[in-house]
Amino acid sequence: MAGMPIIRGVGLTKIYGNLVALTDANFAVMPGEVRALIGSNGAGKSTLVKILTGAVAPTLGTVEIAGEAAPLGNPRETIRRGVACIYQHSNLAPAMSVLDNIFLGRQPTRWLGLIDRRRQRREAVALLDRHGIDLDLDATVGSLPAVKQKEVEIMKALALDARAILMDEPTGWLAASEVAKLHATIRMLRARGVGIVYISHVLNEIFSVCDTITIMRDGKIIAESAVADIDRPRVVHLMVGEKLARESAQASHQKRHPRGTGEARLRAHNLTKRGVFKDVSFDLYAGEIFCITGLIGSKRTELVRTLFGSDRFDGGTLEVEGQPATFRSPVGAIARGIGFVPEDRHREGLMLNMSVTENLAMAMLGRFRRGFLLSRGRMVDAGRRAISILSIQPPDGKRPVALLSGGNQQKVLVGKWLNRAPRILILDEPTVGIDVGAKAEIYAILRRERELGAAMLVVSSDLEEVMTLADRIGVMVAGRLAAIHDADTTQMDEIVREIGGVAA
Amino acid sequence: MSLGSTTTLTDVSRRLAPHALPITLLAIVIAFAVAQPAFLTPDNLIGIVRQVALIGIMATCTTFVIMTGGVDLSVGPVLALAGLVSFYCLQADLPLAIVVLAGLSVGLLVGLANGAVIAFLQLPPIIVTLASLSMVRGSALIVGGPEQHLIRDEPAYTFIGAGNLFGVPSPVYLFALVALVMIFIQRSTPLGLLVTAIGDNERAADLSGHRTRVTKTMVYAISGLGAALAGIIQSSQVHTALATYGPFGTELDVIAAVVLGGTSIMGGNGSVARTLLGVFFLGVLNNGMNILDVPIDIQLIAKGVIIVVALAMAARGT
Amino acid sequence: MAQNAVIFRPATIALILFFVATVAFFCVSAPRFATAANMENLLSGYSFVAILAMGQAFPILVRGIDLSIGAVVGFVGMVVFDLTLIFHVPGYMILPLALLVGTLAGVVNGALIVFLKLQPFIATLATLAAYRGLTYSISGRQLRPDLTTTAITDPWIVGIETYFDIGSWLGISKLLPMPWLPLSFVIMLALFAVLQTLVMTTRFGRDLYTVGGNYEAARLAGINAARVIICAYAIAGFCAAVTALIMVARFTTSTEALGTGMELTAIAAAVIGGMSLAGGIGSPFGPAVGAFLLGAVLLGLTLLGVGQFVQQIITGAILLAAVGYDRMLVLRRQRRLTANPADAV
Repeated sequence: MAGMPIIRGVGLTKIYGNLVALTDANFAVMPGEVRALIGSNGAGKSTLVKILTGAVAPTLGTVEIAGEAAPLGNPRETIRRGVACIYQHSNLAPAMSVLDNIFLGRQPTRWLGLIDRRRQRREAVALLDRHGIDLDLDATVGSLPAVKQKEVEIMKALALDARAILMDEPTGWLAASEVAKLHATIRMLRARGVGIVYISHVLNEIFSVCDTITIMRDGKIIAESAVADIDRPRVVHLMVGEKLARESAQASHQKRHPRGTGEARLRAHNLTKRGVFKDVSFDLYAGEIFCITGLIGSKRTELVRTLFGSDRFDGGTLEVEGQPATFRSPVGAIARGIGFVPEDRHREGLMLNMSVTENLAMAMLGRFRRGFLLSRGRMVDAGRRAISILSIQPPDGKRPVALLSGGNQQKVLVGKWLNRAPRILILDEPTVGIDVGAKAEIYAILRRERELGAAMLVVSSDLEEVMTLADRIGVMVAGRLAAIHDADTTQMDEIVREIGGVAA
Repeated sequence: MSLGSTTTLTDVSRRLAPHALPITLLAIVIAFAVAQPAFLTPDNLIGIVRQVALIGIMATCTTFVIMTGGVDLSVGPVLALAGLVSFYCLQADLPLAIVVLAGLSVGLLVGLANGAVIAFLQLPPIIVTLASLSMVRGSALIVGGPEQHLIRDEPAYTFIGAGNLFGVPSPVYLFALVALVMIFIQRSTPLGLLVTAIGDNERAADLSGHRTRVTKTMVYAISGLGAALAGIIQSSQVHTALATYGPFGTELDVIAAVVLGGTSIMGGNGSVARTLLGVFFLGVLNNGMNILDVPIDIQLIAKGVIIVVALAMAARGT
Repeated sequence: MAQNAVIFRPATIALILFFVATVAFFCVSAPRFATAANMENLLSGYSFVAILAMGQAFPILVRGIDLSIGAVVGFVGMVVFDLTLIFHVPGYMILPLALLVGTLAGVVNGALIVFLKLQPFIATLATLAAYRGLTYSISGRQLRPDLTTTAITDPWIVGIETYFDIGSWLGISKLLPMPWLPLSFVIMLALFAVLQTLVMTTRFGRDLYTVGGNYEAARLAGINAARVIICAYAIAGFCAAVTALIMVARFTTSTEALGTGMELTAIAAAVIGGMSLAGGIGSPFGPAVGAFLLGAVLLGLTLLGVGQFVQQIITGAILLAAVGYDRMLVLRRQRRLTANPADAV
């Protein structure tokens, strides 16, 4: 495994506007090495990978492939030089066939650019055989289940016969048997001298198939080690940082309030949505934080959307404060006192070009109405109060939200709902992509709301967060709510096992 | 957190971008005034405003539509139909108030229809308003035929378009009124805030509990009203109602004025005040080029080039 | 077989059926519809519309639109006018020059969109003004007013307006009066064959769909998305040039207003033909059929005595119906693509 790295990044820095995503990262993968890349959400892993594959150009720094400097921000060149990537979000063309997608952009051609269909099919069949994957080459990709779509992505990367393959959360949708197959493929590639980067937050997988590990936090690489020389607790400790590790250790001794005040604000009974989730039942009490956790793809977001009325369920019943509820749109849910902080704050939560004050007021414009008019004065006052309570930095209500840091943006988003004093607050991945300090602030805000008696439902993939915050923990696996635990009587290992789908 | 080294030129152009239009406008005004002093006479300046009044009213009213990421291609035929309906009401000896209301309601109804189909059936605005362009034009031709209808002996109606108060033509007053009303709506009503919100992030507006479809319907209604008002003013100005008024190109001129003012065609960023800037910019450009006897082909080319340059700069600023 | 394959898409089948039904309806209800003369009118009157619509299909495929193709038609027409009447350039040189000019105009559009990152609607709105202005600039009619009444006589150009008496050739005309086939129809068929093959069987074609369907995925897969987009607009410009040649041949002259409003007709034909403005769906087949469908409807209504003005209303209604139907299909498609019935639930 000695010699020249197959792909290397030197001094990589990436700044988006005023968000520093990556600082001075030095990263290298040898031929035949499987290097894990780990860090909590927002640590900078995806950014690093995107720079290495040419998807984005770094603000500073260079990339070398097999010793030669590579052009930055040019996916075509990087692919040509033998670097393939399986990105976290699907990059397939859903309306096209599996065969078309495997050779996307690189179909073998005869003269005049006519696609050589026979050769294409021959190569694809050979590829599938070699790796023992079973795919219908003529199926429309969009109609395949997520698991199969991931396999198409993997085939697409393997078809490139690359020297280096980067995988960003490749097992998100996969069941245990599929993960084993993927790992077998990885071992085979390693034996052939391919360098692999494996991003994952599943420690078991990393310890199973990777040789080395790189740990990132807050946009920096903070540690590297051979997998054999490190253990799980140390990895988590490094990932999460001193402060939060201590806090979460402290928090785990904090008093928990499972079932809060005992008043059930929301009752879900056998909620079902065909093809998405089935028979989900739970109760949500005032004065508690109930965290639902699980793998990506366990359909938690889809579930909470139906609670808020932005989607509909097909079967089961929902009761809010004792009254049955069938919400046709968020308008109805909001009227019943439910608030919802969506997962993607940029795409669904904030109006980026509007000011902090306007965003804070967005869910309660009715309160600033005077007849037909909008009282901007009252809006500004309410905004000022919220900014101060939430410590939004900088404390300037007129600033466009796009210019705030991720953590402060999230505070605005949460603040928008807190302004309404909701009876029930649902948050989907509330601290994704924000720094450790802001995370702690948000936790404090949520705990304060809990003291004030709100019923809170938090969807989170971040186990540390779940263990820190939750009074009760629910585990969702592939669309079913597999278990509900009281936080003070549960160990993290148990949760990890349940999430992985291993029967207790 | 600045990186020191890089391009101050890019930084400068980025900071200038939102002010690019007023600065250019000023530059052009100065250039024209120097080249042809007659440009700066009050008569000429008022003349400019009068010339742009029609497009100005339509552009102001269509700004909200564009801010929500849509377009309204049907303004031309609505203009014509509103004029025709007013004409027939005049023929029927109806009181002036009814005449004007009837004309305006044409725009309101077409706008509501456009808006409802776009917002509730979620069909693309380009195609829906293209279809209504065709349908309204056909209706206008059926109602009024291809011939001109002279409006005679209607001093009250004629005053709307051709009247004069203290030396300022009435269309100028109407334009000013519409502009003020629209600015007021944008700044001081929930509708104004919602329009910006929907244009910025419609999904987030939905998830914040707003009835976005109703808002979208209303902005098309406003656009229709604006076109109808323009139709009444024009038929009053030229004493004629004609089914082919507002010919092809009118809607594109209106959109160009809005976009030039800085409102993005993708929605979100935008304001009525900026549309006014865009309207005056085009008006000054047209007037100045006419005074300087610039041939029409160069004028058209210049317009095209200017739009491209202005927008490329604006794109750089974001 | 690729899933965008034209003949097998339900929307395309519906389109063909609708076309057949419309023609059948008018054959039965409108006098003189099913005559050779009327068929000739349809073919000669709408072949160039079909060509323009096919050209418009390409920008639409890559999620854009071309509002300037009417102006490009006018511009190329004026170039032809000047070259033949003022500069007396021989026709066999004018034809390739005209095609080149149209293509270049399209390239400019594509470049504005790709390099200046302008929205296609705006970029082509601006070039619409610019090309129309250029048409006035170079207008031979202004420079040499005496030429406004001179007809173009160059055989290479005028020859485009030829009709083939295929009835006699095939000997059918004894049994059935056959329409004379216009050369413009043959040109349309040839262009259709080339474009359809390009789209369905070449890598460039696949790239068009990828870029239109998901620009980012295309870029990450290493496709030169910029080049694909510029080529799409270049094809639109090329088709506009062909249209201009046909029209100039027919009128034996050209005016500054040639092509005004035709971009909207082309868009309407494309949408009726099943193209989705969101990109990534459709092929030149749909817009071509859409153009002839529009033509059949308009000619049929005229023969039925329906006034021209009512026709405008009906055209608008057809457009609305077509886009509503397309939307229904999109919703159904979305439901199919995102539901995962095979998931373990």
